[in-house]
Amino acid sequence: MKFKIKSWNSVAIWKWLANDDKCGICRAPFDGCCSDCKIPGDDCPLVWGVCSHCFHMHCIMKWLAAQQNQICPMCRQDWALKSDLP
Amino acid sequence: MKQQKKDGEAVTTSTSSQKKSSPAQLRIMKDLNELNLPKTCSTDFPDPDDLLNFKLVISPDEGFYRNGRFVFNFRVGANYPHEPPKVKCETQVYHPNIDLEGNVCLNILREDWKPVLTINSIVYGLQYLFLEPNPEDPLNKEAADVLQSNRRLFETNVSKAMRGGYVGSVYFERCLK
Repeated sequence: MKFKIKSWNSVAIWKWLANDDKCGICRAPFDGCCSDCKIPGDDCPLVWGVCSHCFHMHCIMKWLAAQQNQICPMCRQDWALKSDLP
Repeated sequence: MKQQKKDGEAVTTSTSSQKKSSPAQLRIMKDLNELNLPKTCSTDFPDPDDLLNFKLVISPDEGFYRNGRFVFNFRVGANYPHEPPKVKCETQVYHPNIDLEGNVCLNILREDWKPVLTINSIVYGLQYLFLEPNPEDPLNKEAADVLQSNRRLFETNVSKAMRGGYVGSVYFERCLK
């Protein structure tokens, strides 16, 4: 039997690989977005600290911008971005 | 209608009929949904549509303040959870860490606040203040001095204040359950 493909739709799913399912700051799911954004994904990414804690980038940036000491809100260790992602 | 048009392109996960909530409102809703109050505490929403302003009633069942009833007013600002809620004690209380204007000295309401804390953390912090008043770094220095020098007298003063009456020159309204 022969057939011809006239059109096709591809479907993909994605999810962030985080060690938790919710951002500790906004408490929204990591696979959703921070409370200032509407579209999850690359425009509202996650970032990891060297302490291994993970947040929506917008959430942690807002927190750090208001603090003198750049500490992780989860463990109070100095906050530094982890560069080598899993 | 206008709003709908403007948001037309954006993909939202919530249903469109809801009015858009602010980040502080979204976060407080989650806090309140997960609120796990100890049996000595209850909340009261004078305006049920306003989740950002509410009261917490603590009725300790042990310690110096057993049988008292203390009302705290919570005001959650637009910057929550990046800033802690403003919490004031509306019941006059003889307590080393609460002054006569109702200001509360609790680390997580000030310098130790972090956005991963929740309303629940504050409830437990406040409850702990009644179980273990902390005479170091006090807001009511007189009460702190008495607690440090004479625990029995402190206990007497607390009961006197809760029954309604004078401790020194300060009159306290009755706040027993």
